[in-house]
Amino acid sequence: MTTFADSAAAVIDARPGGGRLEAWRAFEEVGLPSSNDEIWRYTPLTELGLEHHVVPTGPSPVAPSDSARRLADGADLVLTVVDGYLAPLGELPKGVHVSSDESGRSHTGRPLAERYARDAFSLLNAALAPATTVVRVEAGTVLSAPVVVLGLAGVGASFPRLRVEVGRGAEAVLVEYLEGGRDGLVVPLSEYAVDADGSLTVVTYQRLDETAWQVARTTGVLERDARLHQAVIGLGGHYDRSRNDAELRGAGATNVLRTTFLGRGDQVHDFRTRQLHLAPRTTSRLLSKGAVAERSRSVYTGLIEIEKGATRTDARQTNHNLLLSSSAHADSVPNLDIRENDVLCAHASSVGPLDALQRWYLESRGVERVDALRLMIQGFFYEMLEALPASLAAPIEADVAAAVGEVARAAVVGS
Amino acid sequence: MTSTLSIQGLRVAVGDREVLKGFDLTMSTGEVHALMGPNGSGKSTLAHALTGRPGYRVLGGSVTIDGRELLDLSATARARAGLFLALQQPLEVPGVRPLDMLVAAGADAATVAARVREEAVRVGLRPELLERFVNVDLSGGERKRAEMVQLGVLHPRFCVLDEVDSGLDVDALAAVARRLSAAAAEWECGVLAITHFRRLLVELVPTTIHVVRDGRVVASGGPELAERLELEGYDGFGAPRA
Repeated sequence: MTTFADSAAAVIDARPGGGRLEAWRAFEEVGLPSSNDEIWRYTPLTELGLEHHVVPTGPSPVAPSDSARRLADGADLVLTVVDGYLAPLGELPKGVHVSSDESGRSHTGRPLAERYARDAFSLLNAALAPATTVVRVEAGTVLSAPVVVLGLAGVGASFPRLRVEVGRGAEAVLVEYLEGGRDGLVVPLSEYAVDADGSLTVVTYQRLDETAWQVARTTGVLERDARLHQAVIGLGGHYDRSRNDAELRGAGATNVLRTTFLGRGDQVHDFRTRQLHLAPRTTSRLLSKGAVAERSRSVYTGLIEIEKGATRTDARQTNHNLLLSSSAHADSVPNLDIRENDVLCAHASSVGPLDALQRWYLESRGVERVDALRLMIQGFFYEMLEALPASLAAPIEADVAAAVGEVARAAVVGS
Repeated sequence: MTSTLSIQGLRVAVGDREVLKGFDLTMSTGEVHALMGPNGSGKSTLAHALTGRPGYRVLGGSVTIDGRELLDLSATARARAGLFLALQQPLEVPGVRPLDMLVAAGADAATVAARVREEAVRVGLRPELLERFVNVDLSGGERKRAEMVQLGVLHPRFCVLDEVDSGLDVDALAAVARRLSAAAAEWECGVLAITHFRRLLVELVPTTIHVVRDGRVVASGGPELAERLELEGYDGFGAPRA
């Protein structure tokens, strides 16, 4: 039987160079984390069974779901990426370039294995992704419709890697969507580089199979007066971990991050965020909202770091968690690390059930319990959905509404 | 068809304190009853207990509509049996749109938006105020008008109004009272208006007045009771015997 290590070796042999071997060796040195590591404390690593996941040497024969197709409707450009392999492209909009980069380098020019040193899963991605899919939006280009990256995962372990480069003064909306991954492991690694005065809205949308493991990492790099608005939505997965960093390197840069997750069954949603303020007058806004039903659990760990010299930084972080059953659990751990005095910085978090009186009020109008819960949970997420780009709101809202319906039914059974 | 709401020997505790101590009241659809009493006499407790608000513990008694026991039912089922409560302070439900609430409560999805607009105009409420979230960012008077819109759309058999006049200006009070009077005429909605002011009764003419003290009805009668109250105050009615 093929093991993970055998299949990984085959992938590295088939595509030599690009720093793959170095990254693999770095992974072997670091090893998989254990639940003794604080940042992996809530991860059921013993269930991962990495050795059973086989890395495919080419794209699996999978087709996008109806949800994926709805998301792609009205897009300016759809990139289909199966198990990290970019499918052939049609015509590109003016000012947009797409390529497969096998150099193994980060946006910064450094090898990925250095950029993401000591992060075991990122190192695996550096070793095993077939290539980086690069979407470059030329300086001054303003895209009128979104770019949709449809990520499909077959079985086994896959390592999609994406880099989005938004040129000076350019504006783009991009969806990074992921589905499939039955009984598999998906380790996406993404970089969003926004040059001066550029603007990128990215929706990172995970709808993997409920048996899948995802360990994702995204990093935004923002130059002067650049804007990155990122929405991270996690609906699927058995274990869904998403680390979302933003490096505000240029003065006046703004990062808005909204993470939304819904847990049911035995799901774990594990969100890690880091806003690194390196330059003056940078702004970050983080709003994380999640609901956990049945026996699911969630972790939110957010770090705001403000370096010396990042004067007049304005950084705010809010995390609200909805507990929908007595067996569900949510942890919220906001952290601040501030090395500059002239800043505004705030955080707030809450964990609690739906308001019993509001529920009674709806019921006293004749609303059934399950519908009252459904309406209230949807209402809890309203501001997250409202902030989505208009052309994407309808398909994502439909998916979220369906998931909320299931969660509400589960919550009634559990109440 | 005439329906009857019957409350018999209702005993309700809030926390450890028994507030309703054997409350009796019977009314039929199409009638307008007023329930008057001093603060702390149990009027609001009655309204909340009838609709199953969390925190109100029923110790005994019975509440039926046409013989069907409501106290065994969920808040939803009580509402679906025909009981509607207008609150003293209607609750805000952030994130939930009034139209979605009304459809979930049984209103016809195809016509609800038009019905809400009609009803809003009837009670002098700007319809755009009902496009956002249930009662959120509305003034006290707007919330009460908004609940009259719910009433007009849902057509309950009985409406219990808890201190509907508190915090209402004269115009809003008149609008609410007119809507209730019309409801009694249009679909024979039975109206039980809880108040401790006589002001409401000028606008909303009751067929029957009940005076409640210390958790029990101590007197019931026609509109003349309100005049007696005006002269003698609640002390004129004495406390019920324990």
